[in-house]
Amino acid sequence: MLIKRRSQDATRSRLAGLAGGLTSGVMDRRTFLARSGLGVAGAAAVGALSLGAVRRAEAISPPEPGVAITIRKNICTHCSVGCTVRAEVQNGVWTGQEPAWESPINRGTHCAKGASVREIVHGERRVKYPMKLVGGQWQRISWDQAFNEIGDKMLDIRAKSGADSVYILGSAKFTNEASYLLRKFAAFWGTNNVDHQARICHSTTVAGVANTWGYGAQTNSYNDIRNAKTMIIMGGNPAEAHPVSLQHVLSGKEINRANMIVIDPRMTRTAAHATEYVRIRSGTDIPVIWGLMWHIIKNGWEDKDFLAKRVYGMSEALKEVEKWDPKTVEDVTGVPGAQLERVAKMFATEKPSTLIWCMGATQHSVGTANVRAYCTLLLLTGNVGKEGTGANIFRGHTNVQGATDLGLDVSNLPLYYGLVEGAWRHWARVWDVPYDYFVSRFDDVPAKAGRAARTAKQNMEVSGIPSTRWFDATLLPTDQVDQKDNIKAMFVMGHGGNTIPRVPGAVEGLGKLEMLVIIDPHPTNFVSLHNRRDGTYVLPACTSFECDGTRTASNRSLQWGEKIVEPIFESANDYWIIYKFAQKLGFATEMFKNIKLVKGKFGDEPEAESLLREINRGGWSTGYTGQSPERLKAHMANQGKFDIVSLRAPKDAADVGGDYYGLPWPCWGKPEVRHPGTHILYNTNLRIMDGGGAFRPRFGLERNGETLLAQNSWNLDSPIQDGYPEFTYAVFQRLGWDADLTPEERATIEQIGGGNPGTVSWSTDLSGGIQRVCLEKNVCPFGNGKARAIAWNLPDPVPVHREPIYTPRPDLVAKYPTRADERTLRMPNLGATYQNGAVASGIAKSFPIILTSGRLVEFEGGGEETRSNKWLAELQQDMFVEINPRDAGQRGIVDGQWVWVAGPEGARARVKALVTERVGPGVAWMPFHFGGWYQGVDQRGNYPPGASPIVLGESVNTITTYGYDPVTGMHEGKATLCQIQAA
Amino acid sequence: MRNPLRSLAMALLFALACGVAAPAVAQQPDSVNPTASSVQERQLIEALRAGTPGTGTTLSGRITIPDRNAANLVQPQGQAWRAFHQGAMHWVGAIAILGMLAVLVVFYLVRGRVRLEKGFSGVKIVRFSAFERMIHWLVAGSFIILALSGLNVTIGKFILLPLVGEDAFATLSEWAKYSHNYLAWPFMLGIAGMFLVWIGHNIPSRLDWEWLRRGGGIIGHDHPPARKFNAGQKGVFWAVMIGGAALSVSGIFLIFPFVSGGVLAMQFWNIIHGLAGVLLIAVILAHIYIGTLGMEGALEAMTIGEVDLNWAKEHHSLWVEEVASRSRKLPPGAAQPAE
Amino acid sequence: MARMKFLCDADRCIECNACVTACKNEHDVPWGINRRRVVTINDGKPGERSVSMACMHCTDAPCAAVCPVSCFYTTDDAVVLHSKELCIGCGYCFYACPFGAPQYPRVGNFGTRGKMDKCTYCSGGPLADNSVEEYAAYGANRLAQGKLPLCAEMCSTKALLAGDSAMIATIYKERVLKRGYGSGAWGWQTAYKETVAV
Repeated sequence: MLIKRRSQDATRSRLAGLAGGLTSGVMDRRTFLARSGLGVAGAAAVGALSLGAVRRAEAISPPEPGVAITIRKNICTHCSVGCTVRAEVQNGVWTGQEPAWESPINRGTHCAKGASVREIVHGERRVKYPMKLVGGQWQRISWDQAFNEIGDKMLDIRAKSGADSVYILGSAKFTNEASYLLRKFAAFWGTNNVDHQARICHSTTVAGVANTWGYGAQTNSYNDIRNAKTMIIMGGNPAEAHPVSLQHVLSGKEINRANMIVIDPRMTRTAAHATEYVRIRSGTDIPVIWGLMWHIIKNGWEDKDFLAKRVYGMSEALKEVEKWDPKTVEDVTGVPGAQLERVAKMFATEKPSTLIWCMGATQHSVGTANVRAYCTLLLLTGNVGKEGTGANIFRGHTNVQGATDLGLDVSNLPLYYGLVEGAWRHWARVWDVPYDYFVSRFDDVPAKAGRAARTAKQNMEVSGIPSTRWFDATLLPTDQVDQKDNIKAMFVMGHGGNTIPRVPGAVEGLGKLEMLVIIDPHPTNFVSLHNRRDGTYVLPACTSFECDGTRTASNRSLQWGEKIVEPIFESANDYWIIYKFAQKLGFATEMFKNIKLVKGKFGDEPEAESLLREINRGGWSTGYTGQSPERLKAHMANQGKFDIVSLRAPKDAADVGGDYYGLPWPCWGKPEVRHPGTHILYNTNLRIMDGGGAFRPRFGLERNGETLLAQNSWNLDSPIQDGYPEFTYAVFQRLGWDADLTPEERATIEQIGGGNPGTVSWSTDLSGGIQRVCLEKNVCPFGNGKARAIAWNLPDPVPVHREPIYTPRPDLVAKYPTRADERTLRMPNLGATYQNGAVASGIAKSFPIILTSGRLVEFEGGGEETRSNKWLAELQQDMFVEINPRDAGQRGIVDGQWVWVAGPEGARARVKALVTERVGPGVAWMPFHFGGWYQGVDQRGNYPPGASPIVLGESVNTITTYGYDPVTGMHEGKATLCQIQAA
Repeated sequence: MRNPLRSLAMALLFALACGVAAPAVAQQPDSVNPTASSVQERQLIEALRAGTPGTGTTLSGRITIPDRNAANLVQPQGQAWRAFHQGAMHWVGAIAILGMLAVLVVFYLVRGRVRLEKGFSGVKIVRFSAFERMIHWLVAGSFIILALSGLNVTIGKFILLPLVGEDAFATLSEWAKYSHNYLAWPFMLGIAGMFLVWIGHNIPSRLDWEWLRRGGGIIGHDHPPARKFNAGQKGVFWAVMIGGAALSVSGIFLIFPFVSGGVLAMQFWNIIHGLAGVLLIAVILAHIYIGTLGMEGALEAMTIGEVDLNWAKEHHSLWVEEVASRSRKLPPGAAQPAE
Repeated sequence: MARMKFLCDADRCIECNACVTACKNEHDVPWGINRRRVVTINDGKPGERSVSMACMHCTDAPCAAVCPVSCFYTTDDAVVLHSKELCIGCGYCFYACPFGAPQYPRVGNFGTRGKMDKCTYCSGGPLADNSVEEYAAYGANRLAQGKLPLCAEMCSTKALLAGDSAMIATIYKERVLKRGYGSGAWGWQTAYKETVAV
């Protein structure tokens, strides 16, 4: 107990003046103004932070003694770890944030962003009411006016140019329910041009991983890393991007005295805690991996048993590996052979080993191939499907996994059903809307530039344009864009504008759009970049903290987040906004026919629970069926019962007994089946009802006479002791298992199958009967197959090294060229033209420094939200470039001075120099969260008054360059060139 | 504890010499084990203590907030400064001020008041113009408050705090601080004015040596010749000039924190300010004594600006001659040469 | 009575700044006042370590010794607090503090720097516990609610430990023993004239 020296002090008369001690005169205003680059014009806005009286009025609400506190739990939105935020609410105001000790994921902890989320909800700098740009001036409008004007314009564009001309961009900060709803909205609108941030973070991971062993997600979990004896973190800096994950990583490292190897072009904060740091040249991941595998094969360290039972096509991959002897690898990557051999030995022999990666791997023109090379290394060493192993892919937002799962993606309907007719029919059944209705909503595409015309049905089965190319789809000649017409309108919900390379292109594209709609808590960089005077709307969405619903963390666990407070200002949640647009566009009745509407802030709005139930009804393919609102809420209420390593609750725990935390997908069957979820994917050491599984045979049953099903491998106690294909009604009938189905289940199956019920499978059976019986029989619904080291359906079936488009080693381009120009995802991909042009014009000489980018712990994504948070903004007040002391010395640059960073495509950025040995000589690194300055010009004036972030700065993507992954359209944000000079 | 002042001064000089010392560019090895080579606080502190070249003066690193002081993790000089401020500073102050008071008391008891040998002549001679007096009192007045408030911030808590209680003392100290900060400006102005007005009379000369050799005539009835200012007064002048300059420069750096550098610079200027302050106070005590209680006929020079002719002849014989030769308007009898 | 201390395990600290913003969140600390901060030593070089630093609540605190108005006091939990009512903003505590803990509302001042502000170990000040006045002047008083400082409670990797000296020293010792390395209890020798022997 504290002793008060003078307990009577509280009553003293000088108290009032004293109270100002902390809260008045709070900031050296001049310093702040100078640092934040605010001119006099911005001063008024900043005054709110500096003048005691004003600040008091707008200050974040302090706790009120004696007022009852309600605890509400939600999930931090700033990365995919899934930290529980425990909010203390008094009188409907969020007055305090306490550690959520009971969460098995974060155990009370946060990073800088998580510990400051309360400010975002109080957000002085949020969009407060709907606005539109009229003759270059921001004008306040009503929601109704917004819905009417925007809806009318959308219909107008639809009539003139087609449904595909409205580009719908969703958000990784959506709840699962909102993600699902927006995907459904796009389906009803009639386009596949619907995307979100996964495009630019882990789209290549999802494609690469899914094409290796079945599902595009982290195989294990953050917690499970505690079991690893060797971990490689390659192309990731979780210490800054996922700080709370380091709790598990470092605990594992300490408890097991595990090897922690960081492979990165940059000596990151993560590398500081590694046992081995390997510096590589950006864009040479495949040679590094093949180099590791070269040593493993040479020394016989591979897991031969695992390869025989569970892997297809390794020998074909090894033919490519043979080319990568240590000398070649060192020449291309810069990593000495001895070090690589040491790492290879640890990874292959000190098992279990896990491979952790982030955007250093994915954001390349060879992103998908990189990921597949990583997976191949895991397969070679048998490090998949067990505790402490696996592909631990750290994703970037609260719900980027969930939004991906729920189909905010140009090539998928919700839950990876794809775009084939069967997929459409499946969802049409779930939605209880005739399939033909959707066909009628899509555009017919005329023949263009030698390409055949497409009917509406064909068009609805063709992937849309990736978000990385939206401005190309706006600017290119119409015949270059493989749809009815160019993109004419951007409908952006919760997505930044500065996260995609080639910002000069985006600026031009924005100028050409007929309409720009931004629905976001913050105006986003789309607003600061634009040069528009009309046809631009900014609508206040509330934050995720003001919204009920589920979020899927990177480890596939779903967590129910409660609305902490009612949306502040005039902001509204995503459900209501989408509902109102659907109403305006005329399909709300159909779209919401099975969704419960409840009374919300502005009237009827869709209920989150009801939306989740609809997802449960259709999410068979990915096991999104068992996670009912009731079960997930029970998990949140019983967080403390889950083990921090296994994530499992004891069998006897009430309500959640035997469950894995958050029912990580796949959680098979209906909720009442009580599947516990799957902590570790493809784990054959467990029964299916304990979260066991196998590799998913989704690539056929055999190839070139060799089986693609597992051999001598099955999940624990499986009744079928060999590989087997996925379960359909036909397979059931052959096995006689159809007798185990209830009459109702059989009736549903027959109804779905129509004339051919045998084709109804575990993933299309809406009765859940097939999955239920599979669980009872202890077999894996999707089958028991092999993972594959060769993906014959993808470009480069075995990953091959290809130099970045802008490479510092033009001498290697002849040997390792990028792919020839081709058309992918409705767009031309001219990588070869750009690469050859760069080599021919000697770009590597005039731009001799490799430029790569990454995250800061204080900010996230495009950064508008976090740069508007005064507690975070204070910690990073200037955009900077990290430059090696050698390069700085050669250029006469000292730490902290302004420099120009110029990119090879002509743009430049004015930033501060941070002279550090984090980057090697010849390498520069920039964070990607800044925006609001463009090529040296402060654009604060473009923001609606009072809604500009505190900190502005140049976007790194102003200078990043062309380069797109052939599979997903991922940009090449992690390997380009630049030149730096003192400003 | 080593001499804290010296170590601080050295540290400061070192810091200034290094400027923004760029880290030595070590060739980064291709392969490192960051865990095995983790830095130990103990080693860093030992290196600091030993003054190993390249270690700098504080244990500091990189921080993202734009505040260079925040990048200091540990600054051991803080303890040295504390030791000085709570130790040496008190002793130096006590010896200087109490010592001077003791000397004055003893002097007074032994020598008594220096009286006019011939008594008052009744004839006045202008010694200081109104302007000169204004400047004097500007400096004197501000200095007294500065000195008292300065002493208060240094030792007030030992003397005044127990007497008046903490609230009253805090209020008083706060006002004292305000007055110290604001009166510093008239003080500095006055010092500058004083310099301009009296520098001409304060250039040391041969006479000063003679005056000093004869002990200023303070003992006995000797009256060594002097111009407008004798060597003792010149000493006070230069003490005020040098001390005032030291106080001004250090004070400005204290009132505008971190303009001169980091916390080391603040400590350094604080020490200079404190030492200059107590020493000047001691000098001024002597000055006040001799100008008031210590010498008959001296005070009027700064109050009404005129002194008795006999007083002038006794203490500033050459000045009287100078004045006489410059002016025919001397009162009767004044033209007689001094004895 | 407990002897409260902070201990930053630099081998766990990843400079995530959660401690910094947790502090800002809990006490609504204004821009420019950094009660806690994270410094990275040997940035980008082998041996790099980050350390979270705030007031260490020293035994025989230098700030208290040099304060001209004796505004500091030490609680029974050995937390060094101060009274903003008495503080005159002279800056002496900043000169004396080995850890740069004292903060002032104004930097380039003329006349006054404002009342000093520093880490209170989440235990408020000399006003009534958890009163509105106490919150306004010093921030939240978690200790009086039986809770530890939020910076340590929210530390992402549990690098920053807060609590009774003996207890956190034991935790740290066990960690070092288990993993086989440790860069030391930063600041302990300076603040407490003792360190955690491992």
